[in-house]
Amino acid sequence: MRSRAWVCEDKKHITRLNIPKPTGMLVNMYDVQEIRSDFPILNRVLPNGKPLVYFDNAATSQKPDTVIDAMTRYYKTYNSNAHRGAHTLADEATTALETARESIASFFGADPSNLIYTSGTTEAINLVAYAWARRNLSEGDAVVLTEMEHHADIVPWQELSKEIGIELRYVPLDLGRMCLDMEAYKHALPGAKLVCVVHTSNVLGTRNPIEDIIALAKESGARTLIDAAQGASHERINFKELGADFLTLSAHKMAGPTGIGGLLATNEALSQCGPFLTGGQMIRSVSTDGSVYRDGAALLETGTPRIAEAIGWGAAIDWLSKIDFTQMHDHIKSLAIMAYEGMVQIDGITIYSDPRRPGSSGTISFLHERIDSDDLAMLLDEGGFALRTGQHCAQPLMDALGVASTNRISLWLYNTEEEIRSFLDHLKMVCDRFGA
Amino acid sequence: MGERLWPEALDPVVAEFQDCFDSMERYELLFEYASNATNALPQDRWNDANMIQGCQSRAHVECTLDSSGLFRMRGGADAQIVQGLMEITRIAVDGSSCEQVSLLTPEFAEAMGFNSALTPSRSNGFKNMLDRVVNEASRMMGSENEQ
Repeated sequence: MRSRAWVCEDKKHITRLNIPKPTGMLVNMYDVQEIRSDFPILNRVLPNGKPLVYFDNAATSQKPDTVIDAMTRYYKTYNSNAHRGAHTLADEATTALETARESIASFFGADPSNLIYTSGTTEAINLVAYAWARRNLSEGDAVVLTEMEHHADIVPWQELSKEIGIELRYVPLDLGRMCLDMEAYKHALPGAKLVCVVHTSNVLGTRNPIEDIIALAKESGARTLIDAAQGASHERINFKELGADFLTLSAHKMAGPTGIGGLLATNEALSQCGPFLTGGQMIRSVSTDGSVYRDGAALLETGTPRIAEAIGWGAAIDWLSKIDFTQMHDHIKSLAIMAYEGMVQIDGITIYSDPRRPGSSGTISFLHERIDSDDLAMLLDEGGFALRTGQHCAQPLMDALGVASTNRISLWLYNTEEEIRSFLDHLKMVCDRFGA
Repeated sequence: MGERLWPEALDPVVAEFQDCFDSMERYELLFEYASNATNALPQDRWNDANMIQGCQSRAHVECTLDSSGLFRMRGGADAQIVQGLMEITRIAVDGSSCEQVSLLTPEFAEAMGFNSALTPSRSNGFKNMLDRVVNEASRMMGSENEQ
């Protein structure tokens, strides 16, 4: 029932892509092989014998040895609860937990007292919604969101809208340039009490002009929340210089472990927060007459801390501190442009990103007009390429793009030119073979 | 189905897949089976009741009895790989008795090399689809017995 037009060895009829060399002077200065040597998983060979090519960094990054070792060392040598014991191990665990907080806060240009450990960005945004917004917003107050937001920065506000009747304003996309419509933004701001915006899109890779947005929000008297889940692993963000009220972070997208992230909040914003979850670390004293809570960031950390995860995140931050982020960004950008310019030559591929834009993160969403996105992901996986398929927790963005899902590659500091060439060859072969 | 691991109708299909050079050729063959699925379940018949849970892409199966009381299956999916698997399952069960279908096991997929080719989530989706067909056949057999 089939023609056997293709066999594996026969590649002479495949039209080779004209793949440009990466541009920029940093190819030689940036030692990607040395960086890769810190990530044991990058040597993984998949069950089908193909070497892993990891292009799903926007979902989660891989972890260097130093992170894995730090967490293992904690469990093997000083596992104990922090802030709760007078013995040696408890003291060591407490010191490690708080040293990590100092490293992480310092990395983001913040004071340790402004960093609240959370499970990740989603919990951090929910924490703002519960601890700050429910005490400071009331019926009719406006919150400005965008069509580019992750669900984690939409649903908490929708819930609040249902609960107390806040108004939600969504800034649309400029589809021609795959960025936010800044004119529409300006119209959405007057009278708003809170502006929530993603630093860098997890779908498009677009880096938003958050400095401009924060300035505009301040002019309007609105507080600002920046979702830096994607942005924090691509550029050095200085919380104090940025001037946002809230900045949300996920450790696992920046070489750290899963299960931990953070909320950076200004002293002023913290002073307006009330308790959300109660018990554990946020308690100062409890009697049958009532309870007294701790102040500031401590008010918002409950239960036993994520000690191993915080230590792992601290180790990731220490490791990242040795990376020149300008060189890293240029490396990723040159690879993303190389991928983009190769992909646009492949018949049937539509790209929903523009990595040539300033600040783009190296994330490229795309679809093939005749190959279903799940099938395409599967066929790329067969070549060893790990990438994401689906709505990327960004259905309003999918709606704006007019698609149900996309395939997405997302690059990071350890990806290589050879991986991009290999990906383009495999993608071309798959599209020729299955998309005719 | 006696001692056979899969219905006789699948013998040439299994042989064809076993003849594939590599997994990409297996996928290519699945795509061909998908495109040859002329009686696939059309999208306007897709609903929550016939949706297969656990598939990465949308997949729906409709099972009926024809006028002779024989089992009939139609499947529809967004993804061609899933549609191809549904078409092969249809070849296995279409026109069989409910009792025969109720005894169907996934050995044929293993023999075709799908276990090594499909990711765990795809493999689970296929298993869920097969379970749905087998359970529907058992249910129909039960209602036949009640009559």
